Amino acid sequence: MADFEPKILAFLCNWCAYAGADLAGVSRLQYPSNLRTVRVMCSGRVDPAFIVSALKEGWDGILVGG
Amino acid sequence: MTQRLFDLAGIGAERLHLAWVSSAEAQRFADVATEVISKVQEKGPLDRKAFAMALGACEMTVNCETLRWLVGKEVKITAKGDVYGRSWPVARYESVLNAALEREYHKSLIYLALKEGGTSVRDISERTGLALKHVSYLLADLEKTKQVEFRGMQERKPVFAAL
Repeated sequence: MADFEPKILAFLCNWCAYAGADLAGVSRLQYPSNLRTVRVMCSGRVDPAFIVSALKEGWDGILVGG
Repeated sequence: MTQRLFDLAGIGAERLHLAWVSSAEAQRFADVATEVISKVQEKGPLDRKAFAMALGACEMTVNCETLRWLVGKEVKITAKGDVYGRSWPVARYESVLNAALEREYHKSLIYLALKEGGTSVRDISERTGLALKHVSYLLADLEKTKQVEFRGMQERKPVFAAL
């Protein structure tokens, strides 16, 4: 499965992980581009129903970052 | 809970990751992202056709009242105690939650099997892979909550339909 590029949806907290991701971008750290981010105001905002519907809509994996 | 549900459904808990990254930890974010991607890569693409019923049942399960109430009361029950002032150990709470999770997931599977056109207990059991006895037990539960209806006998087999 080396050539499989997974689609991953990341729910990131505005104050923690999203800022971390932003800093990673600014400091030009290399990380794979399979991740697409959704900024939420708090990772507590992420409902399990969002995760299940994301999988239904075609994402292969989910990351919740707080 | 959602990870346990994904394991139960055969989707795999590895598809859902939780990570705590502070705003100053850019390197940690890059590491977490790389790790998550490699874990999901190992699992391979999600076969949405094969898991259509499992995903539908997961959706019903996470939206069901019982589980939402249970999850919402976790801190109250384990730290402050129930309405009679008795607090429950976390392990006890977890086992109740897990039992409810499994029951609700199986009930959702049965409901979807009926929607798909299943009729008898044997038919539902074949579609969902659940044991016959378990299906009839949960059907009675679904009947009580008016999600399923008994539609009479057909060739000496009781027939059910989803409402």
